[in-house]
Amino acid sequence: MSRWWLAGVAVVACLALGGTGCSSKKKGSELEGQGAAGMSDEALGGAGGAGSLALAQSGRLGAGDTGPLHDIFFDYDSFDLDETARQTLQENAEWLKNHPTVRVEVEGHCDDRGTVEYNLALGAKRAAAAKNYLVDLGIARDRMTTISYGEELPVCHEESDECWSRNRRAHFVTAAG
Amino acid sequence: MRACFANVVICLGVLLALPAGAQVRSTIIGPGVKRFPIAVAPLKDAGAPGTGDQFAHVIGLDLELSGLFRVIPRDTYLEDAQTGGVTAESINFDNWSVVGALALVKGSIERRGDDLTIEARLFDVAQRKQLAGRRFRGRAADEARMANRFADEIIQYFTGERGPFDSQIAFLSTRGGRFKDVYVMSANGEGVRRITNENTINLSPSWTPDERGLVLTSFRNRNPDLFSLTLPNASWSKLSSLRGLNLGGRWSPDGRRIAVTLEYDGNSEIALLNADGSLQKRLTDHWAVDVSPSWSPDGQQLAFCSDRSGAPQIYVMSADGGGIRRVSTSGNYNTSPSWSPKGDRIAYASRIGGHFQIFTVKTDGTDVRQVTAGAGSNEDPSWSPDGRYLVFSSTRRGASKLYLADAAGANQVELTEGNGSDSSPSWSGWLE
Repeated sequence: MSRWWLAGVAVVACLALGGTGCSSKKKGSELEGQGAAGMSDEALGGAGGAGSLALAQSGRLGAGDTGPLHDIFFDYDSFDLDETARQTLQENAEWLKNHPTVRVEVEGHCDDRGTVEYNLALGAKRAAAAKNYLVDLGIARDRMTTISYGEELPVCHEESDECWSRNRRAHFVTAAG
Repeated sequence: MRACFANVVICLGVLLALPAGAQVRSTIIGPGVKRFPIAVAPLKDAGAPGTGDQFAHVIGLDLELSGLFRVIPRDTYLEDAQTGGVTAESINFDNWSVVGALALVKGSIERRGDDLTIEARLFDVAQRKQLAGRRFRGRAADEARMANRFADEIIQYFTGERGPFDSQIAFLSTRGGRFKDVYVMSANGEGVRRITNENTINLSPSWTPDERGLVLTSFRNRNPDLFSLTLPNASWSKLSSLRGLNLGGRWSPDGRRIAVTLEYDGNSEIALLNADGSLQKRLTDHWAVDVSPSWSPDGQQLAFCSDRSGAPQIYVMSADGGGIRRVSTSGNYNTSPSWSPKGDRIAYASRIGGHFQIFTVKTDGTDVRQVTAGAGSNEDPSWSPDGRYLVFSSTRRGASKLYLADAAGANQVELTEGNGSDSSPSWSGWLE
């Protein structure tokens, strides 16, 4: 709990600085403040990344609250990582390397054009594929957990190709280590 | 009095058992055959005035849903339910033949406080004689169940097999909130009651073998864990909370094991749990998705869904995990197997042209039959306890609702209505 409170302090402090340099790595690493009592980057990393279930429970899922890591997207009934997904995972891996104490929950999601149980299993494979690629890129396996939400937490509710493709995703939730 | 069950809900007695062979029975009733015209009179008050309408209403509803009967509309009846006779000797059968009834249900109802006694009889109008009769004793709240049981008996009289209506359907609905919660209703769609109110994801409810509770997957502890939910008070107890999927629990018919989908290194496999939820045995070991186990009624085999061929298909294996063979041969996306209580067929959902339709297939993979067609997606088939009907979800009219059809696809009827989306039906066994 106190870490989340610190996150708020960090964000407010950042805003109070007028935003100058807030998003820069330099400022971030100052905030990491390895020696400062209890002050670390962990909470800052966690501040932007609420889990999809919590967002859905508060009615905010799909409202653009995405956290510091970027979603990757999949083809229909597939857990293959295409070139774009790999590129995004490389960016996510860089961020994680710069924030070595942040833990990640990798969420696997599907569109609703399948059956519930099959899609829950497919979501698990998507999350595992994303996690395993991050491991290949040098992120420690024990920093990451996976969870599948199947087709239960769509960010988009229309019946269209564009909408379905947005729902077929792996989402990354960061938390203090 | 023939039988008084332990944990008595309803005591019942056979009023008069006739040998088979009465006139109406020789009429063959079955799917595709013209519906048999039957009148269902409101019950006659034997004691203090009340209303016998609910019993007659439920019988009429069940018989219509069966697809076997045409219930003659009550407003055409010539007789006042409170003055007409209720036994073969006292009924004016001419009043019923003139409205077109070949069979007739009449009876009496007596309420004393919370105690309820109903005598119900089935008559052959042309032969002017009683075909079946039963006395039910119970509480006032049991009236609908008494009616469901007599409807099942009427169906048994005409078809030789007990009807499916003394049973319940559990399902998920978003009618009450943002997430899918568990609801239970009578098999005829009446008496819907909400079981859970969890503000989290709930999935795949299915009945315990004693029909008194459900097993389901819920994210209430933020992981897809398997829970037991005891009715009617919805008390939760955790069965399995291994990391990752604990999905789609299905009790074995003997109540000793639970087939489930568990996650191993990000991949789903079918496994068996002991009755206390502890892991007994992993059954599948394949890199592909393996989900949705469904027991054969003898508990010797399991149907399941796997994409080991490159796309989801229906497979069967023995309950020790051996002898895996593919059952679905047409279609490139077949899921949600449900093994018939009769044992001979497996229902499943198959994707055709971007939508799902319900099919059934013999367990050896032959004789594929299409149950649904047309607009929308039809998914999640679940068999009635007599193996003659299926309940499933359908988006044919927009939001997902539950439908009932006979196994050949005739007589498709919408069972649920209202707000939200209804899905994942599970039809219980008979309540006794």
